[in-house]
Amino acid sequence: MAVAPALPRAVDAPAPAPARRRAKHRWVFHAVMGPVAFLWVLPLLFVIVVALRSFDDIATNGLGSLPSSFTLEAFGTAWTGGSIGGALRNSLVVTAATVVLVLFLASLSAFALSRYKIPFGRAILLAMLAGNLLPPQILLIPVSKICEMLGIYDRLFALVAVQVGFGLGFFTFVLYGFMRSLPAEVFEAAKIDGAGELRTYAVMVLPLCRPALAALAALESTWVFNDLLWALTVLRTDTKFPITAALLNLQGGYTTSWNVVAAGSLIAAVPTTIVFFAFQRHFVSGLLVGASK
Amino acid sequence: MANVTSDAPPLAADRPDDGPPPRRGLLARRGVTSRVPPVIWVLLLVPLAVELFWVFWPAFNSFQLSFTKWNGVGAAQPVGLKNYRTLFADPVFHTAIKNTVIWAIGFGGLSVLIGLALAVALNRPRRGVGIYRSAIYLPMVFSLAVTGLFWRVLYQPDGPINTVLAAIGVDTGEHQWLADPRTALAAILVAAIWRQAGYIMVLYLAGLKGCDPSLEEAAAVDGATAWQRFRFVVMPQLKNVNTVVFAVTVIDSLRTFDIVWAMTRGGPYDSTQLLSTYMYQVGFSLVNLGYGSAIAVVIFVLAIAFIITYLVRATREED
Amino acid sequence: MGPTPFTTPSLSRRNLLLGGAGAASALFLSGCIGGSPAPSTETSSAAGDINAPLTLQSDLSDELPKKAMESLVAGYSAHKLTMNTVATEQFRAQLSSYLTSQNPPDVITWLAGSVARDYAAKGLLLDVSDMWTGDGACAKFSPALKALSSGDDGKQIFVPTSYYWWSIFYRKSAFEEWGVKAPTTWDDFMAMNDTLKTKGISPLTCGTGSTAWMASGWFDYLDLRINGAQFHRELLAGKHSFDSAEVRKVMDTYATLIPYFDPKGRSYSWQEAATPLINKKAGMYLIGAFMTSAFPKGDLDDVDFFPVPTIDPSIPSAEEAPTDGYFASAKTKNPAGTKDLLAYLAAPAQQQAYIEGAGSSNLPTSPDVDTTKFSPLVQKGIKLLQDTKEITQFFNRDSSDALQTTADTALTRFLDHPDDVATILKTWQAAAQKIWNS
Repeated sequence: MAVAPALPRAVDAPAPAPARRRAKHRWVFHAVMGPVAFLWVLPLLFVIVVALRSFDDIATNGLGSLPSSFTLEAFGTAWTGGSIGGALRNSLVVTAATVVLVLFLASLSAFALSRYKIPFGRAILLAMLAGNLLPPQILLIPVSKICEMLGIYDRLFALVAVQVGFGLGFFTFVLYGFMRSLPAEVFEAAKIDGAGELRTYAVMVLPLCRPALAALAALESTWVFNDLLWALTVLRTDTKFPITAALLNLQGGYTTSWNVVAAGSLIAAVPTTIVFFAFQRHFVSGLLVGASK
Repeated sequence: MANVTSDAPPLAADRPDDGPPPRRGLLARRGVTSRVPPVIWVLLLVPLAVELFWVFWPAFNSFQLSFTKWNGVGAAQPVGLKNYRTLFADPVFHTAIKNTVIWAIGFGGLSVLIGLALAVALNRPRRGVGIYRSAIYLPMVFSLAVTGLFWRVLYQPDGPINTVLAAIGVDTGEHQWLADPRTALAAILVAAIWRQAGYIMVLYLAGLKGCDPSLEEAAAVDGATAWQRFRFVVMPQLKNVNTVVFAVTVIDSLRTFDIVWAMTRGGPYDSTQLLSTYMYQVGFSLVNLGYGSAIAVVIFVLAIAFIITYLVRATREED
Repeated sequence: MGPTPFTTPSLSRRNLLLGGAGAASALFLSGCIGGSPAPSTETSSAAGDINAPLTLQSDLSDELPKKAMESLVAGYSAHKLTMNTVATEQFRAQLSSYLTSQNPPDVITWLAGSVARDYAAKGLLLDVSDMWTGDGACAKFSPALKALSSGDDGKQIFVPTSYYWWSIFYRKSAFEEWGVKAPTTWDDFMAMNDTLKTKGISPLTCGTGSTAWMASGWFDYLDLRINGAQFHRELLAGKHSFDSAEVRKVMDTYATLIPYFDPKGRSYSWQEAATPLINKKAGMYLIGAFMTSAFPKGDLDDVDFFPVPTIDPSIPSAEEAPTDGYFASAKTKNPAGTKDLLAYLAAPAQQQAYIEGAGSSNLPTSPDVDTTKFSPLVQKGIKLLQDTKEITQFFNRDSSDALQTTADTALTRFLDHPDDVATILKTWQAAAQKIWNS
């Protein structure tokens, strides 16, 4: 019944500049952006080079020197010694669960705050956002005690719960902005159809928010995937550790096998890279936070 | 399921003048409903309760700790305002406050400027844009700790940065970027901005996509310069994305920790100490949790000050 | 039975749920966070459950030590045993959480010294005194080790399993190339520094960048050589001032060494500072024996050391020998099993297996370990510690991590600005005083 009306999608409108101007500026553009992009990639190339060197080469010649060895050994050591396989799995489970839960909950509160005149709505929104400004370090000890109290300490679920709680404020804030920018006609139409609140939310608002949700999902996966602090706070068993904690163990206290750390970091970056490229379209065309139709 | 309009049970919180036929005005135009059906309260309160439980409650406990002396074991001794008095006389705290302000301005300001500039440069589809965007976003896939780790190596006296500088004829005399208190904070700043710029760029790219190109073209026909078009046509349309960028920037700059910890641990001799790193050092390396909590309270108060000065205004303008 | 520092779960949960009783008190995680200790109903149920599985929390995350630990764990069959490895720094930050949790790990790797004693005073550590008497696993360990492993109440709460020595390390082949010999007197040492410097070699390397605590190595040793171990211990305990004439003398000597340090060391971690030593751009490195782990395996035979030369012959000889081992949680569900595991880890065979596996040049604490097969370097280390009159640990282990922070700030600043020594010492004393007072 309630099919979302086709929206004017500013997203897809290209911005064709006059061809003459474009041709004139093309070489300037590449002359500037080429080196800039190269500058951005340079440190990553360095990481790759380090990962391909041997420990003895690094110990003898130092990290800054040109490589005098080539080996894939570090990747093997990182994979087996750091039990990266299991850690990756833990990270993926926690990340997926967190992203789904946090976006679902945040979309609920954003819907309520943006579409209804909740008393002190703005204060609630800002208070939720303010929660995100707390330095996480200060919550570490209370959170670990709460997890113990609930009997979920040292379980991946605890990590998901904490991450969800800690992400809610920001995502509510962003989705609130997005939902407010949705055209009023949608809601008028829903009202005329006599759709209830939950129906309006599920059938109209959620599908319209899909691009924003996709973009936020990609952001949140990067954050959750790269988190270390919370993981160490609520987990103790190393078979449950996420990839970041496993990487840390690679680093060691006495020896630093830089090549292994570099290799591990590269392996760990693969999922976030995939997520980024998979969602790239949404990132760029989807996060309509600024849309003012 | 309750209905949107008249037959939902009236709630105590409802204002009496919000009668059944919703007033047509600003709110109605935006599709905002004045009356709040109970199911909406549930939708709001469930996430709110989750955040209260996992964030505000632990925070409240920590704030209470700031009035005590506690090493994580046994009973915390109440000490009143002693932690705060010690704090305000603590020279390292002064350095940390100063550095945090420098950081918030430097990190926040520069990453937003660079991110916005890159977004404007890479907004129009043309050959190579996708590669450039990806290259600039790529650092985001690494965690801050890993970023710090590798930039520390780049900055080594005989590391790649000095090698490159020497190769292009800039004699640094093997400058020790991170060991020299005059350059250490700036050196970390560069690494942090390197990672953050791509992220801000992506946010602005999304915002720019939502801008109406016909407005800009109309302004161009009217003879507006590129800067004027950007300032008076594009920027106002980026208002919402600016709010998000601002929130992200304040959150990230006040919470910056991993990258500093990985690169200098607040050294040399506390010259790169931020409030967050000092808090961690006091609270966790030295297990002085009462004092650490007091620093956290200061961070929180600073954050709230930012929020109040900017965001309240920004959200109010919307109505 | 010591007081239990944390309430039982039921009590905390009641406080949590009785929100109506008193909003403020229920909001506070009383009993959990900084709450007053309440009597526990399940106080370490004396007998415990002999079949309960055991957990070993380890901070030995380096590749070889971790592997060595894994094979020790695999060789233990008396109880079901799981080991978790967490990188040292995070391990330290979590240590109090581990010990105060309702279900703490049974055995935890740690180091002997003040931190262990602090936890013991809070009643968090298992009393292992019976392992130190009769035919207990630690009964034959030296009296010095026993003293080191005792809490303030004289009970043993620590099981030391290995230790290592600090000295000035160098490459034999490098010394041959440069035509120098390991010095035996302080004057020889200083003369050699000059010789190396004229050859364009940095005589000393020291990674005080991201491991600022390395600067305390020279401070400790100069204080031990100039003022003696007794004064050093008292200084770290707050009985002398860092602003005193004695410490000033130490700093003046330290200042004479500064021109000989590789200036790049200010940017390095201790591992990175080993690189100039390895590739013969630097001559010597005052460091613990763990430095051999930063060396390429093929070059290990080339590593040698000499003790920091005597400065004042009237001062009894002293060396630093930090000791590592294990302690156990007082709240373990299986005290008998925990002690059995500790005894297993402390037994000569396991000590030997660990030292060989970890490749870290550590020394065994058990006199029954056959050390004849150890490398000549380790044999020489054993002899050094046998011959010395006094043993200290290291700055932080002899004082506290908090005091170490003040030393890091003062000493790295001093390395950059030796002329400001008067101000630096005054500031150092003020910062240290704050810690002793608290």
